[in-house]
Amino acid sequence: MKICSIGIFIIFNCTFATAQNKLYTKTGTISFFSKTNIENIAAKNNKVLAVWELATGKLELSVLMKGFEFEKALMQEHFNESYVESDKYPKATFKGNFENFGTLNLSTNKSYTAIVKGVLTMHGASKNITLPTNVKVENGQVSATANFVALLADYNIKIPNVVSANINKTIDISINIPAFKVL
Amino acid sequence: MKKSNGLAVFVFIPILICIIFLVYNAYNRAPKDISNTKPDVTIHADSLTFAYENDEDLANKNYLGKLILVNGQVVELINQKDTLLNVIIGKNESVSKVSCLLNKNQIKNYKKLNLGQQVYVKGICTGYLSDVELNRAVILDPLNK
Repeated sequence: MKICSIGIFIIFNCTFATAQNKLYTKTGTISFFSKTNIENIAAKNNKVLAVWELATGKLELSVLMKGFEFEKALMQEHFNESYVESDKYPKATFKGNFENFGTLNLSTNKSYTAIVKGVLTMHGASKNITLPTNVKVENGQVSATANFVALLADYNIKIPNVVSANINKTIDISINIPAFKVL
Repeated sequence: MKKSNGLAVFVFIPILICIIFLVYNAYNRAPKDISNTKPDVTIHADSLTFAYENDEDLANKNYLGKLILVNGQVVELINQKDTLLNVIIGKNESVSKVSCLLNKNQIKNYKKLNLGQQVYVKGICTGYLSDVELNRAVILDPLNK
């Protein structure tokens, strides 16, 4: 009986570990902000796809460029047509790894500061970036936030001279994954 | 001299004000409400999903950025604090579905939806991640679609 109970326990835990092999969400958010003396520009996209492989610490994010919503229609049109050329480059992706993945224990309530290093590909250009990430575990729910700065020139995004004073050359980007699900 | 000043006051200044007003409005106009806009494409959710699964580049040429009227079965409803409303349309057994991020003014229509019912949703296609994504979507009355 005892052996049987131990067997069930082992099977249950193996199943649990397998089931938690990946975390994902389809409803993460990403927002960016450009501040200049002339105007501030902000946009938000509520459809970030994030997949986190727990066994390896590999993290992948994907976002559709046409999914960014602006307060002003004209800004959204310029963003899609002239700056990121979203018909030609419809997606931006990040593929990276948690540097200190071994120190994260997702089974206890705690907040962690983690470093994710990887490659951000946007507008057909790829650049190595480091994401300082905050991972929070609360009652079994894993969430994550990250903030970083992107230089437009790194992604071949050209701003015409006539509006160059309206758009900052560096953009503040925030990512928020409020609730990972088990895949 | 006085005559030319009067001309400036009564003709050129009002024209200048009108131009400033038009430019200001054009610059600050909000994204268009698509509720009463005729869709570019009408398609069943399963066909749209199949098109993207089969050839994403070709599907983007046909649907990306276009106003799509899609119909199909509601398989999932996601409500994040009444601010982010998602209707997922398709087949339960399919990996990919059509994910419609509703306009905020759709809260009343959203709350009338039930899993399994047939629905007509109109939204702007933003592309394909694991699902085909429609943004700024509105739920249509099937009788007035």
